[in-house]
Amino acid sequence: MSLVENTKCECGHQNAVGTVLCESCGKPLDKNDQSDMPLEMRYDGVARRSQKTNPNVIDRVWNFFSSVKIAIYLIVLTFLTAMLGTIYPQENTFVNNFDPSVYYEETYGLPGKIYYLLGLTHTYESWWFIGLLVMIGTSLVICSLDRVLPLYRALNKQQIRKHHQFILRQKTVFKRRIEGEETKWADGFAAQLKRQGYRIHRDGTALLAEKNRFSRWGPYINHIGLILFLLAVLARSIPSWQLDTYITVPDGDTVQIADTNYYVKNEKFTVEYYKDEELPDKLKGTARAKLFETKAVLYECVSSCGDPLKEPELKEVKRHDIVVNEPLKYKGLKLYQFDFDTTPRLNEVRPVLVDKQTGDTYGPFDLPMKDSAPQHKLGPFTLDLYANYMEFSIDENGEPVTLSRDPVAPAFIFTVKGPGLDPAGEPYLYFPMQKDKVKFSQDAINAAIADKIEIRVDGMENVDFSEASTYLNVRMDRALPYVWIGAAFSMLGLLMGSYWQHRRIWLRIDQGELALGAHTNKNWYGMRSDVAKALGKTGIAVDPKSLDNGGNNA
Amino acid sequence: MSLVDFSSDAFIVAFFLYCFAFMFYVIAIAGKKWSNRDPEQHERRWGRIAFGTSSLGLAAHLAFFFTRWAGSGQIPTSNMYEFMTFLGMSIMIAFTIVYFIYRKALLGMFALPLTVIIVAYASVFPQEVQPLIPALQNVWLKVHVTTAALGEAFFAVGFAAGLMYLLRVVDFKGKTKEARRSQFWVEFSLYTIIVIVGFIFAVFAFRGAGYEAQFVQEQSKIDTKGIESTTTETVDYTLPPIVKPYNSQAVSIESFLGMEEPLFEAPYWMNGVNSGRKLNTVVWSVIAGTLLYGLLRLVFRKPLGAVIHPVMEGIDPEDLDEISYRSIAIGFPIFTLGALIFAMIWANIAWGRFWGWDPKEVWALITWLFYSAYLHFRLSRGWQGLRSAWLAVIGFVIVLFTLIGVNLIIAGLHSYSGV
Repeated sequence: MSLVENTKCECGHQNAVGTVLCESCGKPLDKNDQSDMPLEMRYDGVARRSQKTNPNVIDRVWNFFSSVKIAIYLIVLTFLTAMLGTIYPQENTFVNNFDPSVYYEETYGLPGKIYYLLGLTHTYESWWFIGLLVMIGTSLVICSLDRVLPLYRALNKQQIRKHHQFILRQKTVFKRRIEGEETKWADGFAAQLKRQGYRIHRDGTALLAEKNRFSRWGPYINHIGLILFLLAVLARSIPSWQLDTYITVPDGDTVQIADTNYYVKNEKFTVEYYKDEELPDKLKGTARAKLFETKAVLYECVSSCGDPLKEPELKEVKRHDIVVNEPLKYKGLKLYQFDFDTTPRLNEVRPVLVDKQTGDTYGPFDLPMKDSAPQHKLGPFTLDLYANYMEFSIDENGEPVTLSRDPVAPAFIFTVKGPGLDPAGEPYLYFPMQKDKVKFSQDAINAAIADKIEIRVDGMENVDFSEASTYLNVRMDRALPYVWIGAAFSMLGLLMGSYWQHRRIWLRIDQGELALGAHTNKNWYGMRSDVAKALGKTGIAVDPKSLDNGGNNA
Repeated sequence: MSLVDFSSDAFIVAFFLYCFAFMFYVIAIAGKKWSNRDPEQHERRWGRIAFGTSSLGLAAHLAFFFTRWAGSGQIPTSNMYEFMTFLGMSIMIAFTIVYFIYRKALLGMFALPLTVIIVAYASVFPQEVQPLIPALQNVWLKVHVTTAALGEAFFAVGFAAGLMYLLRVVDFKGKTKEARRSQFWVEFSLYTIIVIVGFIFAVFAFRGAGYEAQFVQEQSKIDTKGIESTTTETVDYTLPPIVKPYNSQAVSIESFLGMEEPLFEAPYWMNGVNSGRKLNTVVWSVIAGTLLYGLLRLVFRKPLGAVIHPVMEGIDPEDLDEISYRSIAIGFPIFTLGALIFAMIWANIAWGRFWGWDPKEVWALITWLFYSAYLHFRLSRGWQGLRSAWLAVIGFVIVLFTLIGVNLIIAGLHSYSGV
């Protein structure tokens, strides 16, 4: 190939470097291409930007991403890596705090450890996976731009009379001597094609029939949609665009949603189970939840928010009964029913103090499980809170510890002062729950003081507990509208490109010699039957299959 | 008779009609070479009979679907049995549409057995109507599952045409390295299909004989507080236990052919729900499939690919290539809509996020990426014909893994019951 390529066609049209078929008459430009094989019709043989001579750095990057081959490699690489991410559960599937560096090795052994070390436990958040998605996005933009502009130019200025070589080297071809008047035959044939929905362009005895050109834009509209979609997905990593946390709200409690100004109250949680007669035999006797509901109230903090010394001032903004599929929605914030726990939880007791020597009772006094007052004065007695345990236990050294911050087995140690007791105070261990009192043998630990005083609860009216806790999933996603717009564009483009095909028929008659060629971007079967049908109606019966000129189905 | 009972009868009718339709398609194609007849007329006549039968089968199948829907009050796509029967029905719908475009009786010879296998496979799973848990009660779920299945059904037809293409063009007499490799993989594909048939045979044979075995499995779990707790579970086997669950004791084992004890124990890392039983089922499927395959080889005395190949003679491979490509091109937008877009809408309603990298979601994405790679490959030179037929076959393997494998091997939000 010479350094400066002659790209002028014999019809006089000056083509850009890289052009395969003359943009005007369609004659193949490559002098070495003397075969009769069907032509390469992609983008109508027009040169693309990526086919420039002497590429600079930007051109090279452009050329890299404009290649469909690279795009396919990127797609293949993406789905192969996505496969790896499904071997073991990803880190984000664990709601509770857990340590991935230990968990994977303990659960899956050595393969689990390797999996963790390779970073596959968070495949979809890894830089290389996101990098692949960004590269696919780049490829989408560049591939599309590189092709859509030349294609638009080519389809916008089509010549009707094409070169013989162009017509007869199409994939669907028909050649025949026709009798009678040429123009008249062409008129009749044009009328038949028109009936099939073709738009007809005439130039004497030459004809160009075209239909569904819009379907050619389908892939590009699809790609625009995909780019929008990808951008929307990437935008979710902008802080405050996305929130996804879980909160536990016991019955009657108000809990702040972390990192926001919102508080949510669970007024009442209810769960309903399927009755036995509603279940098939195999599932009878199992508790299969039918409906669970949280009566929720959303508050917004209006003043003294974030001040640890003051109570925040809350304003009710929304009230909603949350069930599955029906979240509470407020300004892009959504609260979903996620799960529930029906273990009852103690909130507060109102015990009395009994002086066993005199038989007098003092109280009752308020004793919440969390944030109890540091001192209680009851008649002549004073109780100073020495320690408060949520889930009381004794560790291996014999020291009291708490196992969690949930009031599962609450315990209090008071320093009690009063008549008949050591003036410096005597320690008294108090378990509000009867089961714990027995389990940890409260009276034995308290020893001598147990004979002098007793703290106890009189009657259930002095016990306040939550029957259940609801688990809510808090979400916020501002990129969502763009996600849907992207998906809609993509789908529209896919439908346009898949269910309609751009079909063109070129025809010329020279001295009674009919030459017909037809091209489509998809569905050659339909293309051939269109031609065969029109020919049949004009009196030339042909088997559609006989029109096939070989070559590949694109 | 209740509607649900009626629907079960309609299902059986559909199944047998499909089997007959398959035989008629075989007669239409293979019978062309029989003496004293005009091949073209023979194919037209039997093709019409076969298509009529398969359409009747589809009608019965639709009757099953809608009466079960009416009878149970919920769309029957909510467990493995219902979903797989729905997939079988979708394949028949896709086949009927493609048949209307191309009118090739030959396609029925491959689409029908596929449907029959999938419908039979569905019957392995528990068939009762199960009430839905709240997370599944939504109209978008129905739309998502049905559309996705229809898209996948077109991929299945593309697979059938692709496999036909391979059986048509692969040179079964060739001795070159490439020919041998193609022969091997075609044979392997057929063997895999026979293993699935073997699975169905094994399950029904032992179910018919009422076989039972039971194990108690101990599972230890370490919770977030670092406390180890042990739970015991009973695992019921319906196939003789070649593999027993990891860390388990036998409660009762019926002896089978003198086998009183399990031969192996499932490895520790397979800790999915009932993974020991599933592994045992896989082992049995391979055994039954291999026996069946060996039997067929004994009968024909040559590779199965070479047995089918002559039937395909006279068929234009380009037509097959076109049909395969076209089915996939028709299915792709439907699949995108159903398995990705509708799925995202539903996920957003149900879980408040349109995408969560759940294994099933990831595999739907993998399927979608695979087929988009396929569609782009079709634009490149040299990727039509043989290579694209292979891609159509591999693509359907990915579809099946997404539908069945993910549920059985990887647990997630989409878990259904297993055997």
